Amino acid sequence: MTPLSRMIPGQKGTVIGFTVDSRISRRLLEMGVVPGRSVVYLRNAPLRDPLEVQVGSCCLSLRRAEASLITVRIEE
Amino acid sequence: MTVAYEKSVVGTGLIALCGNPNSGKTTIFNALTGLSQQVANYPGVTVEKVSGKLDLSSEAGRSFTLVDVPGAYSLSAFSPDEYIAALVLFGGIKGQPRPEAVLCVIDATQLERGLYLLLQILQIGCPAVVALNMVDLARRSGLRIIHHRLSKMLGGVPVVPVVGNRRRGLDKLRQQIAGVLSTPRSGTALRFDEITEAALDGMVGADADPVYSRARCLRVLYDEEGPAETEFVRERGETAMEPVQRARERIRSRYGSLASGETRTLTDRASEIFESVVRSKNGPGRTRSEKVDRFLLHPVLGPLVLALLMILVFQSIFSWAAPFMEMIDGVFASLAAVVEKGMPPGPLRSLVTDGIIGGVGSVLIFVPQIAILFIFIALLEDSGYMPRAAFLVDRLFRWCGLSGKSFIPMLSSFACAIPGIMATRTIEDRKLRFITIMVAPLMTCSARLPVYAIMIAAFIPYKTYLGLFNLQGIVLTMLYLLGMVVAVIVSYVLKKLIFRTEQGTFMMEMPSYKLPTLRSISVRVVNRIKSFVVRAGTVILAITVIIWALSYYPRPVVLAPSAESPQAATVETVNEQAGQQIRGSYLGMVGRKIEPVFAPLGWDWKITVAVLAAFPAREVVIATLGTIYNLGTDVEEQSSSLVEKMRKARWEEGSSAGKPVFSPAVALSIMVFFALCCQCGATLVTIRQETTKWIYAVATFAYMTVVAYAGAAAVYQVFSRWGL
Repeated sequence: MTPLSRMIPGQKGTVIGFTVDSRISRRLLEMGVVPGRSVVYLRNAPLRDPLEVQVGSCCLSLRRAEASLITVRIEE
Repeated sequence: MTVAYEKSVVGTGLIALCGNPNSGKTTIFNALTGLSQQVANYPGVTVEKVSGKLDLSSEAGRSFTLVDVPGAYSLSAFSPDEYIAALVLFGGIKGQPRPEAVLCVIDATQLERGLYLLLQILQIGCPAVVALNMVDLARRSGLRIIHHRLSKMLGGVPVVPVVGNRRRGLDKLRQQIAGVLSTPRSGTALRFDEITEAALDGMVGADADPVYSRARCLRVLYDEEGPAETEFVRERGETAMEPVQRARERIRSRYGSLASGETRTLTDRASEIFESVVRSKNGPGRTRSEKVDRFLLHPVLGPLVLALLMILVFQSIFSWAAPFMEMIDGVFASLAAVVEKGMPPGPLRSLVTDGIIGGVGSVLIFVPQIAILFIFIALLEDSGYMPRAAFLVDRLFRWCGLSGKSFIPMLSSFACAIPGIMATRTIEDRKLRFITIMVAPLMTCSARLPVYAIMIAAFIPYKTYLGLFNLQGIVLTMLYLLGMVVAVIVSYVLKKLIFRTEQGTFMMEMPSYKLPTLRSISVRVVNRIKSFVVRAGTVILAITVIIWALSYYPRPVVLAPSAESPQAATVETVNEQAGQQIRGSYLGMVGRKIEPVFAPLGWDWKITVAVLAAFPAREVVIATLGTIYNLGTDVEEQSSSLVEKMRKARWEEGSSAGKPVFSPAVALSIMVFFALCCQCGATLVTIRQETTKWIYAVATFAYMTVVAYAGAAAVYQVFSRWGL
């Protein structure tokens, strides 16, 4: 279990859950970041923040701080 | 009987069109309503209300008002857009009934997420139809959705596969909408966990419509301090919230957070439905967009492309628009000439030519620039590039106290602050949104250009350095940069000292790229121009007439031709009289009284008056200067005679009597003032509309005027001492 923000571009994994329950985690759920879905870390923005991930079939842009709230299991 | 009468003749029933952002909702809206749309604001709030006529006369025997509900991921009101979406669906908008039916657009490639919102909406119990959009894209990425099974699992809600931008499936959609209107209700209520159910049982009173009431109570329970709670407290009093609070505590202690009580049930049901209606699931598709993004979001190439795009947008706004602007100008000039000939002289003619044609004309001249800007914005938005631009600049903007989402509003503000301020609606964070609104007018809008053009032409020498850089061009560039630099400083100060925001959120979907269609682009641009023209014809017209009256009255009693030249007064004497007149007008009296206030800026009372008269719109300053310098109001920025008059103007009295009024230092001081001030009535009205409070408009005007005054004074003091 690692925070999403620790992944590196190109890595794949699965969403496990959230470290804290807040308005933000609720919004992430509503946008499709649901435990069990696949996640691919696509890229960083030019200044390494925000970052882009693909959860299921949806691409999301998140700030590093928001990404650190999501826990994932990284695929070997 | 009266009901039938109302429906068939006067009012058409209301149908709400809702869906996730980027689900292609607006494309379907445009396809269903064509050019019959109306843009307005929801009363008292900040979200634009777009509605149009949905003609179902052949399917259902009448037509309806289709309301384009702002895009939402959920009814839990995270952004202003979602707040409105929830209000519309629950019939909470003043003067607008509950919708008779809901048309919910779901992006087939994001089915599971679309189902989440749909399930929330179905709880309301309103007849619903699902438009499963972009089925072609879904199929291409290996996703087959069995739509009749989906319909069955949703409790009989019709599901119509459509391709919005190719207008495929729309006739079927119309038929299904007509169909659900005759059936009482579709959809099934979800069962939540027992704490929620117990709470709902306690809250739902003896209502005529228990399903609707239950759905509302669900929102009261789960959206702390949301619109539903406010309404609930107003209806039943504070005490009714006590059991609700207790239920919330129980849910929190059971699931760790309040939201989970609802999200758990919804996401479980959504994925259950998804699993059983989707036949083949290949790996996640969207490879084409991903390939494009490797280039457009590349750490080096990405920002480069963005910069080039911005340069292209600016270039085109200034160069492509020019011939059209001259054309419009010509039309208004000849219109004024016709009126001048056809009407007897007097207040009425002056009101029509100087006030209405002069004032409104000077605003309508910007229609070509606004059209070009909106074509670009529509192209960038429809293609899906805008979120990418925000992604690229977010870090940079955050450093300035803004967010990547402020980028689009700021970019729009270079044409005009009004669409820029309206574009802040996608920023969920209230404080961040207000900061963006308050600094957007600092971007150099097109109305400042005429002022810069005439001042630079008259007082900045045409000198070239290194064979490439022209002094006039350098000054113009510096003025653009000045606005941006001050915006950065102001937003930093606002963020740190006044709003004290924490980091806002930046969760944003990156939709796949789409080819914009000519139809959707033209519909959007035409509608934008329509609302701009309406604004010019109402707010701006009213302010212009007031300013005209202040500079026209009081009239001196005698204005007859003198004895020496009884026939026709020469042009000079007429102009001379006009000059006398404005000195004695209310505006002139005020101007001379407050001249000392603007003395540190190097201005005489005439400049002061011209600047004050430009309160409704910056470009008015040119017309006013023209009047004051005995030329009549019909003066254009290129007019060499106004330039000549300004060069010849001398101080009438005081220590510097006889010296020229205008110098490069004075010109710079005027330009810096205009770069930083908020002399734009329409912008202030828009700020009021968007923030719902006058205080933000007043605060923006106040801080910008102070900064403009200080900046102009500093520039004048430095440069005049330097001998310029």
